[in-house]
Amino acid sequence: MIRTTNLSKTYYLGVVEVPALRGVSFEIHRGDFLGLMGPSGSGKSTLLHLLGLLDFPTTGTIRINGMDVSEMDDDERTDYRLRKMGYIFQDYALVGELTVLENVMLTAMAQGKSENECRKASEEILSVVGLSERLKHLPKELSGGEQQRVAIARSMVNRPIILFADEPCANLDTTNSRAVLDQFHTINEELGQTIVMVSHEEWHKEYFHRIVYLKDGQIDRDEDRRSHSA
Amino acid sequence: MNETLIRLRLSFFLGLRSLRRGNIGSLVMTVVIIGMVFTNMIFLPSVITGAINLFVEQTIEYSSGNVLIEPKEDAEVIEDLEDLLARVNRVPGVLRAAPHNNIGGVMKFKGSRLAGSVIAIRPRDEVLVTGVSKMIREGQYLGEGDTGVIIIGNYVAGHKDKSEDLMPSLGGVRTGDSIDVEFTNGVTRTYRVKGIFETKSYMADQAVFITWDELESIKRQKVDQATEVLIKTVPGEDDEEVKLSLIGMGIQEKIKTWNDLLGKAFAQVVQSYGVINSISTIVSIVIAIVVIFIVIMIKTLNNRRQIGILKAIGIHRTTITFSYVFQVIILALMGIVFGLLILLAMDRYFTVYPIVFPDGDIRPAFTIADIVTNAVLLFIASAIAGFIPAWMIAREDILTAMRG
Ligand SMILES: Nc1ncnc2c1ncn2[C@@H]1O[C@H](COP(=O)(O)OP(=O)(O)O)[C@@H](O)[C@H]1O
Ligand SMILES: [Mg+2]
Repeated sequence: MIRTTNLSKTYYLGVVEVPALRGVSFEIHRGDFLGLMGPSGSGKSTLLHLLGLLDFPTTGTIRINGMDVSEMDDDERTDYRLRKMGYIFQDYALVGELTVLENVMLTAMAQGKSENECRKASEEILSVVGLSERLKHLPKELSGGEQQRVAIARSMVNRPIILFADEPCANLDTTNSRAVLDQFHTINEELGQTIVMVSHEEWHKEYFHRIVYLKDGQIDRDEDRRSHSA
Repeated sequence: MNETLIRLRLSFFLGLRSLRRGNIGSLVMTVVIIGMVFTNMIFLPSVITGAINLFVEQTIEYSSGNVLIEPKEDAEVIEDLEDLLARVNRVPGVLRAAPHNNIGGVMKFKGSRLAGSVIAIRPRDEVLVTGVSKMIREGQYLGEGDTGVIIIGNYVAGHKDKSEDLMPSLGGVRTGDSIDVEFTNGVTRTYRVKGIFETKSYMADQAVFITWDELESIKRQKVDQATEVLIKTVPGEDDEEVKLSLIGMGIQEKIKTWNDLLGKAFAQVVQSYGVINSISTIVSIVIAIVVIFIVIMIKTLNNRRQIGILKAIGIHRTTITFSYVFQVIILALMGIVFGLLILLAMDRYFTVYPIVFPDGDIRPAFTIADIVTNAVLLFIASAIAGFIPAWMIAREDILTAMRG
């Protein structure tokens, strides 16, 4: 579904070049629950940002369903992120001035659906993540685990073709982390949702179908776990 | 739904909530400042309009009437006065016509000399046409047939200490005093001052009046001539219509409405005030722009991360920019409403306590035109002042913004 060829990204800090990614070629398949793992600074977030159309590669190409994303202009990228991609960040990234329900409705409304339609869809997805009782709360009134479940609901409400999660459990305790991972497992199993998740927690491995290990901006190992576990 | 509408709807959704759940203190402060700026923008033109209104009222009430008849092009006086008055008084819409015969003269009182207008009037007609009779400061107005008496304007009377005078005067004349008047035909007469009037109109208060009978006694003949004829129209009547009726009756003399008379002087005054007013408006607008710019700049800078997040999840930067523009629009509307309330209170206040000027009590006149023009100006300025900082931040690179 997504194929990268020789992807590289170099940051420039004044005159200093920081090569964050160095020639990454791999493919994400529909229905994958893929873990991106590797030591801190190995380029996991950078890769996720490129895949999620949040940043531009220095060289190399990304094709989504055969289309070269470098051909999209800024508006098309924005629209693609809205309609086809979901994002979950380490610090939840909710809009503080909006309630739980409004945070989720936001992306649905941006697609031009009627307010009622958006409300219905949002309430439905929020009940799936177990937050039906919290619709009118503001993010700051929720625990970290609850906030991350709002973020999951928000990322899912537009039925994206792919979900990107950058260390979604980094700020959560084990119980809440499990809740989030279980949620991912469920939507991956039941809806066939493709998920790419960055993590550096060893115990998360048991959830992934496949793990791509990064090291110094290159793919170190690509491990398919279904063949082992199934 | 089309793309622009979808975006605007979402902008409104975001903007409204941001205002509601944002900092109340900064909201109130912004609304109050916009309200004050708006009040300030309206106040100066309202005082100017008030001054102009006063000037118009004074001119009609004390100097020209609603319509003024003047001698023909090359004539010094209006001839066949009685015939003219009879005809004019029959014109529908005319309440009364009052003739003036202005014979210049030099007044003398205890060593002071003052050249000026000495106007002969017919008191019975005059009281129906001008308001001078209602503005007697001391003594009495002229009675029909009075001779040997004169009434004088406040400025002519003046003060004993001439440094207190705004205009040249006779240096403190009181009712009952005698003044000598030397007429241009060489006759000199002594008059007892019967009354002193104070209209506060510069023009009117520099005049002195005697009766028509007195004039005829000076000239030793019937006077069937006038230098001008003032016409008071029936209230509610269109002065222009009355003027046309008079022309239609075949009157050959020059006929002017107060508007014709003030026309040129007016254009000049309005232009001069216009310059002052523009400067004041520009200063107000600049203050409004700076305040709104800073408020939105601070707000967007504080919300940088949130703006980054919104862009990351696929909200278009136009939506984000306009969410701030909507906030500013709502703030500007609230500010303007607040300003209108202040103006309403001021209007009430100045009705009871007008601003006192030497030439009259000015009541600021808040016109719809001034209010609408300035509201629109302020509104546009606010929208631009809000748009620019929001637009700058919304253009930022997603990941840079998200790092906050
Ligand atoms: N905006 C940036 N500017 C400069 N260097 C960066 C920037 N973002 C990341 N890097 C560098 O790129 C490398 C990869 O970073 P990142 O993708 O965040 O790693 P990871 O997510 O695996 O910890 C690191 O050396 C990091 O310091
Ligand atoms: Mg990272």
